[in-house]
Amino acid sequence: MSKAKENKKPKRWVGTSLRRKEDDRLIRGHGKFVDDNRLGEMLFLKMVSSPYGHAKILKVDVSEAEKLPGVVCTLTGTEVASLMQPFMEIGPEPGAKIVDYPMAVNRARYQGEPVAAVIAKSQAIAEDAAELVHVEYEMLDAVVTGEDAIQDKVILHESSGTNLVWRGLYEWGEVDKAFKEAAYVVNIDRLHFHRFTAAPLENNAILAHWEPDGRLHFWCNNSFPTFAIQFLAPALGLRLEQIHVKTEDIGGSFGVKITHYPQMAVCALASRKAGGRPVKWTETRTGNLTASGHCNERTYRNTRVALDKNGVIQAIESRQIDDCGAYTRYEPLGAVIWSQVVPGVYRVKNLRIDFAQVVSNKCPCAPIRGYSRLQHLWFMERVLDICSYELGIAADEMRLQNYIKPEEFPYTTPNGCVYDSGNYPKMLEIAKELVGWDRWVKKQQEAKKEGRMIGIGIGTTLDSGTNNFGQSRIINPYAPFSGNSEAANIKVDLDGNIVVSLGSTPQGQGHETTTAQVVADELNIHPDMVSVRTGFDTEWNTYTGHSGTYASQFAVTGLSAVHGAAQKLKKEMKKLAAYALQAKEEDLEFGVGNMGPELRVKGTDKSINYWGLANLVNVNNAGLPNEIAELTLNCRYIYRPPFQIPDLKRKYGNLTLTYAAQLHIAVVEIDPEMYTPKILDYAAVDDCGTVVNPMIVEGQVRGATAHGIGAALMEACVYDSVGNMLTSTFSDYTPITAVNMPKVHYGHIESPSPFSFNGAKGMGEGGGAALHAISAALQNALFEYGITIDDSFTTGNTLYDALVGKKVMQRANNVKVERGVA
Amino acid sequence: MAIKLQGEFEVRKKQQDVYNFLTDPNRFAPLLPDFQELEVQDNKHFTVKVKLGVSYIRGTATVKMELSEAQPPSRAAYRGTGSVVGGSVDMNAGFDLTESPQGTVVKWNGEAQISGRLASVAGGLLEPLAKKNMQNLIDSLKSALEKQA
Repeated sequence: MSKAKENKKPKRWVGTSLRRKEDDRLIRGHGKFVDDNRLGEMLFLKMVSSPYGHAKILKVDVSEAEKLPGVVCTLTGTEVASLMQPFMEIGPEPGAKIVDYPMAVNRARYQGEPVAAVIAKSQAIAEDAAELVHVEYEMLDAVVTGEDAIQDKVILHESSGTNLVWRGLYEWGEVDKAFKEAAYVVNIDRLHFHRFTAAPLENNAILAHWEPDGRLHFWCNNSFPTFAIQFLAPALGLRLEQIHVKTEDIGGSFGVKITHYPQMAVCALASRKAGGRPVKWTETRTGNLTASGHCNERTYRNTRVALDKNGVIQAIESRQIDDCGAYTRYEPLGAVIWSQVVPGVYRVKNLRIDFAQVVSNKCPCAPIRGYSRLQHLWFMERVLDICSYELGIAADEMRLQNYIKPEEFPYTTPNGCVYDSGNYPKMLEIAKELVGWDRWVKKQQEAKKEGRMIGIGIGTTLDSGTNNFGQSRIINPYAPFSGNSEAANIKVDLDGNIVVSLGSTPQGQGHETTTAQVVADELNIHPDMVSVRTGFDTEWNTYTGHSGTYASQFAVTGLSAVHGAAQKLKKEMKKLAAYALQAKEEDLEFGVGNMGPELRVKGTDKSINYWGLANLVNVNNAGLPNEIAELTLNCRYIYRPPFQIPDLKRKYGNLTLTYAAQLHIAVVEIDPEMYTPKILDYAAVDDCGTVVNPMIVEGQVRGATAHGIGAALMEACVYDSVGNMLTSTFSDYTPITAVNMPKVHYGHIESPSPFSFNGAKGMGEGGGAALHAISAALQNALFEYGITIDDSFTTGNTLYDALVGKKVMQRANNVKVERGVA
Repeated sequence: MAIKLQGEFEVRKKQQDVYNFLTDPNRFAPLLPDFQELEVQDNKHFTVKVKLGVSYIRGTATVKMELSEAQPPSRAAYRGTGSVVGGSVDMNAGFDLTESPQGTVVKWNGEAQISGRLASVAGGLLEPLAKKNMQNLIDSLKSALEKQA
């Protein structure tokens, strides 16, 4: 290390905007993605998908396809079902009765569901051959809304006999008493959270190689491989040890790549049928949009809100239907995960939510960014906003009245979750300042005189991170999951280099960088001296059953594991250096000398570098005393958050360790002619506790903001009544790009978490603050026109139908207020 | 997505002649827009191939047809199902024939259910295309009926 570089060293690397270690290779085009892999004798797989949302499969004829030169083999649903067991179901009956194969057998239940596959020597031949597969269908009536599905008039899965996957009543506090004593009761008939997806830059891709000796290798971009292999192994009749999964660079996931294990199974069976040749499948964009994974769609019916005379919410009750698409896959976890954030950011004590999850003839859901909490937080924000307008209380005042106060943290929610820290009023104050609240309020009044419709809206949200998997038992008491864990391994390599491997599967979150920052601080070296292995490999990396990158947890679980492993390694290094230097451990310090990273005796010129230490352990160990001989300089640590199993009867317990918060303010104008909403100004304030790398955090805040704005105004998975997805290309499903992004004024505060070693909180999902803020801004602009924003997706068309056609969003049809109830 | 069309026209032909024409695939099928090929299985079943081009989806649609109702000389109806690149079509078409002073009035109705990528990519284009093709078909039908001896 040069003197100049050492002189630039900050006091701590954690907290600095260190440039991402990953970016050098990614910017130079040296990143390695699944489709970059080429293996000898590799074949290509093309799925033949159902054009129907719901149909009987009468016949699959692959004979013509198999005759095409270059085609090696084919697979059909019936054949797949004969080669494997159905995937396990997480939930209890009736959902557990669903029989889930990776290919449709006898019946297709969503458009895009694979019904056959062609495996050929080239992608082009596979594409041509797929068109020669003749499938005879008999179209069936489809069910495409949660509200219709729950009526069971059309049933998707004969085996379960109902579309209901799971239903449960969540009740905490004294709901009836609160309603009796309320000054106001606001009734909201229907709210709806729409379907959208994540549209990562890189679609799903798999390269499978089932060797004749029984070893099954996957090069893939699955973002939760430890979860995937637990589904794949029993279904394919393998031991976990026989499945090798390797990920490298992943072009985004946002949760959507968690649930492509069915396609992994198809590729594996194809490889086996092809005589053990590797088989690659690369998803098309239309395939990704129609058949990869959508976020959970939720409808909120018969919502009642009890408020006191000051507008403080006393109780909420609601009947909610979650539509998880055609198969359960990751579900019904979404039927409990929302309860991590039951009251949102508010002091509501009494809640009664009748929650049902159903299947429908739509793409199965995936745990997409903000999974299930996003839907609930949008609901809470809509409830608060609608009540504020109905009661004539300004939306910002209403929030201040209802926010959990800074001095109340750690705050225990009605269902026993413990919000670790936060300061929502402060965030509101900063966001108002950033956006120029007072200036916009003035402008809004002036614009109104000109007939312009401008709205200012606030979205306050949570990003709960580090799940307690014990919450799965609220859904299924027999679920064999609880707690959480993450592993990391750190070693001093033979040449003295520090090498870290993680249990996580990063997809752009900068784990290599933040890990290096933590290790560099521990060892008092530069982060460039820390090698963090790219990607995840079940043969190389250390992991637990919870390992992965999901649910906003790396800053806590991942870095805690890294920190723990570094602590263990430091102990060993000190012990070894003390022996080598004939010094006391307490006299040693870590640093960088002329021979690289070293341990030295304080105040002397005695030191040993890392190569010397590694040499002693690995290749020059004759005569080492017993107490030294046990050292490996190769340390694994598993971090386990201190969770308990929730009280299943009361549905009560701490379900998440940390609660990052985001507060956004959007200023939106509705075009008077086209009715298109346009963002005029925007502010985002983040609080994720102690910030490990401000640049990465800000990047994630901006990314989550873009995802939310896209979801609010541009992105929707729209289906017609027979289950055709009408937004199956980027012409119709218009993902947000930089061109559509407003300038975002960014700010942050730090409320360190008392529950993580570094005060950090997971924050990658963002909690959908942009969705909430835009709905709120539209509400602010349109309340006086008799409009209630009752859907999370708003376009110029819907606003035209609302304002001109008076067909939708009509407050008079949806919202009723009972005054003076008490 | 469903496309429903209906209409009526009059031809200077006897009801029985019109009925015979409409239930004879060898005479009727070639009138379909962009007709390619016909294969008759029996007196109630045939397969017709027509060229299709909507937006960037182009290919040949293979449609299996069945004469589902035959009430000579007043009514004939077809049921069909077919596949095309990126999609499927399920259709029903009915013809009700009544005598008129000038010949025969043909009341027709058709319903097509389009599924798959065809519906999602070309959805907005399908209805006008279907209307245009249907008008072409009716014109051809009238012309053919009035020409036949």
